[in-house]
Amino acid sequence: MEQKHYRPRLEILQGTLDMLILQTLQWGPQHGYAIGQTIRTDSAESLQIETGSLYPALHRLEKQGWVKSDWGTTEQNQRAKFYRLTPKGKKQLLHERDRWTQLVAAMATILNPKRSRS
Amino acid sequence: MGFVSWLFRRRAIDRDLDAEIRAHFEMAVADRIAAGEDPQSARLAAINEFGNVLQTKEAARHVWRGGAVAVIADLWQDVRFGARMVVKNPAFSLVVIAVLSLGIAGNAAIFSLFKGLALKPVSGVRDSSRMSVALGRTADGRNVGLSLPDYRYIKEHNQAFEDLTGSSMIFANVGLGADSERIVAELVTGNYFQGLGVGAQLGRTLGPADDVAPGQHPVAVISDSLWRSSFGADPAVIGKTLHLNGTPLTIVGVADPAFNGTMVSMGVDVFAPIMMQPQLSPPSRLDSYGIFMMTTMGRLKPGVSNQNASAQIAVLASQLDAEHPINKFTRRHAVVPIWQSPFGAQTYLLPAIAMLGGMGVLILLVVCANVANLVLVRGVARRGELAVRLALGASRGRLLRLLFVENMVLAIPGALIGVALASFLLPFFAVGASSSAPSRMYLDTSIDAYVLLFAIALAGACAIVFGFVPALRTSRVELTSALSDVSPRTASRGWLRSMLVVSQVAASLVLLISAGLVLRSYAAAVKADGGFDATNVTSVAVDLQTAGYDQPRGSVILTRLLDALGSEPAIESASLATNVPMSLVDGASRATTIEGYAPRSDEDMLFLFNIVAPEYFRTLRIPLLAGRDFSRTDDASGQPAVIINETMARRFWESPENAIGKRIRSGESEWRSIVGVAKDVKYSRLSEPPRSFIYYPLLQTYAPAITIHARAAGDVNHAMRRVRDHMQAIDPAIPITRSVTLREQTRVALSVYQLSAGALTMFGVMTILLAAIGIYGVVAYTVQQSTQEIGIRMAIGARRVDVAWNFLGRGATLAATGAIIGLAIAVSLSGALSSLLYGVGTRDVVSFAGGTALVMGIALMASFFPAWKASKTDPLTALRHQ
Repeated sequence: MEQKHYRPRLEILQGTLDMLILQTLQWGPQHGYAIGQTIRTDSAESLQIETGSLYPALHRLEKQGWVKSDWGTTEQNQRAKFYRLTPKGKKQLLHERDRWTQLVAAMATILNPKRSRS
Repeated sequence: MGFVSWLFRRRAIDRDLDAEIRAHFEMAVADRIAAGEDPQSARLAAINEFGNVLQTKEAARHVWRGGAVAVIADLWQDVRFGARMVVKNPAFSLVVIAVLSLGIAGNAAIFSLFKGLALKPVSGVRDSSRMSVALGRTADGRNVGLSLPDYRYIKEHNQAFEDLTGSSMIFANVGLGADSERIVAELVTGNYFQGLGVGAQLGRTLGPADDVAPGQHPVAVISDSLWRSSFGADPAVIGKTLHLNGTPLTIVGVADPAFNGTMVSMGVDVFAPIMMQPQLSPPSRLDSYGIFMMTTMGRLKPGVSNQNASAQIAVLASQLDAEHPINKFTRRHAVVPIWQSPFGAQTYLLPAIAMLGGMGVLILLVVCANVANLVLVRGVARRGELAVRLALGASRGRLLRLLFVENMVLAIPGALIGVALASFLLPFFAVGASSSAPSRMYLDTSIDAYVLLFAIALAGACAIVFGFVPALRTSRVELTSALSDVSPRTASRGWLRSMLVVSQVAASLVLLISAGLVLRSYAAAVKADGGFDATNVTSVAVDLQTAGYDQPRGSVILTRLLDALGSEPAIESASLATNVPMSLVDGASRATTIEGYAPRSDEDMLFLFNIVAPEYFRTLRIPLLAGRDFSRTDDASGQPAVIINETMARRFWESPENAIGKRIRSGESEWRSIVGVAKDVKYSRLSEPPRSFIYYPLLQTYAPAITIHARAAGDVNHAMRRVRDHMQAIDPAIPITRSVTLREQTRVALSVYQLSAGALTMFGVMTILLAAIGIYGVVAYTVQQSTQEIGIRMAIGARRVDVAWNFLGRGATLAATGAIIGLAIAVSLSGALSSLLYGVGTRDVVSFAGGTALVMGIALMASFFPAWKASKTDPLTALRHQ
C-alpha cells in the first residue's frame, strides 16, 4: 500500500503508540495481548494501552509494511497472531526515536528555559 | 487493488480479526485465572477491560480501506441503502422517477436532435463536429459555395486544412423512364472518401484516379440505403449499371452504412466523380470561376483555428482575384466551423433547437422543484433518522453524500426511462420535418453514448438540485430538537415549499406562453399564402433528361404539354416552373448585369431566379404590378424577355412602371427586356426578408427538370390525375418524380414551426401538470398540518365556506405570485422567440392572456380539492387528533 494513506489523526499520541509497539517488537515476535502487557509492565503500569487503540495501530503498522504477522501458538498452546518487525520497521523505529529525542529536547528547552541573562 | 477483490478480501480480514480478538480475550482471561480470580469474574473483567469490541474491529478494519476503494465501499453501502429506501417508499419513488423521466425525456429528445445537427452532423465520419467548411460570401454576407477552380486552388495552396474535400449536391433521378426515383446525389472530388475517412462496405470508394478527365469517369458509389431499396442488398451489385439523370454509370462500390453524405440532414444516395458534372447536370461548370457549386469540408491542422484558416484563405482569395477576376464580384472566402455551415439543416434548425433547449432547461427546473418538494416532505419525515445518524457520529458531509446517493438511485432510473421515452418522442418531433422534406431526411438522432451521458449528467444535476437544497436543510437539524420533538409544525418549512411552487407556476407560464406564440405562428403560417395562392394547385415534377430528351426535342414536349393542359377541362390554368416557391432552401442564383447601372465594387449582384412557362403568375395568382405575364410568343422566335419582382424594380428603377422595357442580362448572355413586374412572394421561407428575384421564360431558356403547376377547376386530386394522364399520353417514359399538391409541397417551409410548436405544446402541457401537482401538494400539506387549527376555528364558529375560502386563497396567492413572475419573464424573453414567430407579435395578447388564464385556472382547481377537504373537517376529530 502506498505511503500516502498513512494519516495519523492525533499525531503525537498515535505516533507514540506506534513507536512503543515497534520498540516492544524489537526483541522478537509478539502477539497483540503480549504487546499490551509488555508496554504496561515496562512502563511500570503507567501506560495502559487500550485494546481499542492497540489493534488498529497494529494493523496500521502492518499496512505500512513495518511489521508482519503470522499465526502461531503461544507457550500455553493458544493460537494467536504474532507480529514481528520488518527491516523497514527497524528503520522506522530508529527514525521515530530520533524524532522523539529531538522533541523531548525541544520540549525541555521550552519548559525549562535557562534563565541566563546577559 | 480492485474493488471486487477487495470485497473478497474483506471477508478474510474480518475472519482474521475475529480470531485475533478472541485470542486476546482468551489470553486475558487465562492470565486473570492464573492470578487467582474465579473464571466468572475473570471473564467479566476481561470484557470490561477490552471495551467496545465492535468499535475496535471497525477501526482495525478501516485501516485496510484506503482511497478509492474505501470511497467505493462506502458508496456501495449508500447505494444499497438508497435502493432499500426506494423499495420502502414505492409511491414516493415512483412519482419521483416518473416526474424525472418526463423532464429528461423532453431534454434528451432535443439533445439528440442537437447531437444530430451539431455534434455528429456528418454521420459515419469520425469527429465530424470538428470539421470546418471553406466557403464564399457575397457582399451582403450571404454564404455561397466555392467554384471548382477556386476550390482546387485553395486545396493546393492552403496550409490550414489537413485535407479539403469538395462536393457538389444535385437533385437527380436514378433509373430510367417512369420507374425512376428522385434522389440527392453528390458529385465529389477525388480526395472526398479518403479525406473524410469513409470506406466502402462493398467494392471500392471513389479516388483521385476518378478525378482526372471531364466526362471520362462513368462510375458511382451508392448509399447503403439505395443499395437496400433499389438493389435488394444484392452483393453482386458491383459492376451493374445505374442511370443517373439518364447517364449510365457503373456501380463500383457501396458506401459504409453509417455514411449519408456531407449535406447535413439530407440523405445522399449516389456519389459520382465531379468530373461527370457536364454529363449529369449540364452545361459544364468545371472551369467556371463564377459558379459556386462546391461545398467543401475538412479538418484543420492541429493548432490552426477557424480565424487563422480564414485569414489564410482570404490571402488565397485575393491571389485568385488578381489572376482570375470574376466580373463584378470580389471573393470573400472564409472558413467556418461546420455547425455554422449554410449547407444543410443546421442553418434553419439550430436556432429552433437552441430555443427548445432553453425551454428544456425551464421544464427541468419545474421537475426539480417538484421533486425537491417531495424530497422536502420526506426529509421532514426522516429528520428523526438523520438526527440519530448525526448522534452516532456521522459527519455532515457523510450525511449529504448519503442523501445524494439516495437521490441518484432515483435519478438514474429516471434518466434511463427518460431516454427510452425520448426515443418514442423523437419520431413525433421529426415527423413534421421529414414528411414534407424534398428528399430523404437524414439526421443521426439515435440514442447513443452521447445522449445517454447527457441524460445521466442531467439526472445527476437534478439530483444535486432537488436533493441538496432540501438535504442541506435536513442536515442542519439540531440534534436535541429533532430527537425530542417530532411535531410537524416545527418542520413545515412553509416558505421554501411555497417558493418552489411559485417558481413552478412561473416556469410553466413562460412555457405555455411560448407554446401559445409558436402555435399561433404555426396556425398563421399554415394559413399564410406567402404571396401566392397554393390551394387547388398541383406540384407534379417531371424530368425530361432522364427520359433521354435533349433541348430541341425537350422544347417540343414542353409545348405539347402546355397545349394539352390548356385544353383540359379539369384545369383552369396551368404553367411550368423549375423552382417551387417556399421550398425552404434557396435555389441557385445568377450574377446579373443591369443596363445603365454601375454597381458599387462590393455590391451583391447575384439574384435568385426561377424559370417559368406562360401563365405562371395567373396560375399561382401572383399579382402583376406592371407589364404582362409571359405568353406563348416569348419563345425562341420572340424578343428575349424577363419578369422581375417588386423589390428588384424598386431597387433599380424606383417603381414597377419605370422598370418595364429596361434591360438586364445574366452573366455574358443576351440582354433581356423587362416585360412585367410581379408582386413579391416568399421564395424559400415565410420568415425571409423581401429580396430581388428574376423570372426567365422557360420557352426561351430551356430546362429539362420542371414542375407542373395546374390550377384545378374543381377537385385538385382529379386535376392531378389528369396532369399525370396527359404526361403519360405524351411519353410514358418520362418519369414523374413527384406528384403532390402545392399546398403539401410548401408545408416543408413550415417544418420549423411544426417542430417547435409540437415540442413546446408538449412541454407546456407537461409543466402545467407538474405545477398543478405542486400546488395541490402544498395546499394539501398545509391543510393536513393545520387540522388542529381548522378544528379550533370551526369550534369557535367559523363556517365551512370560510375554511374552504381560506385555503383556496392560499393556493390562489401562490399561483398569482408565480403568474406575475412568469409574465414578467415571458415579456422579457419573448423577443428571443421572434425568429420562430410568424404573423404574431412577441407580445401577442391572446397567447399571454390564454396562458395566464390556463395556469390560474389549473392552479385554482389544484387547490380547490384540498380546500374542499379542509372544509369537511370534523372539529371534534381534529381536536382529538394529536
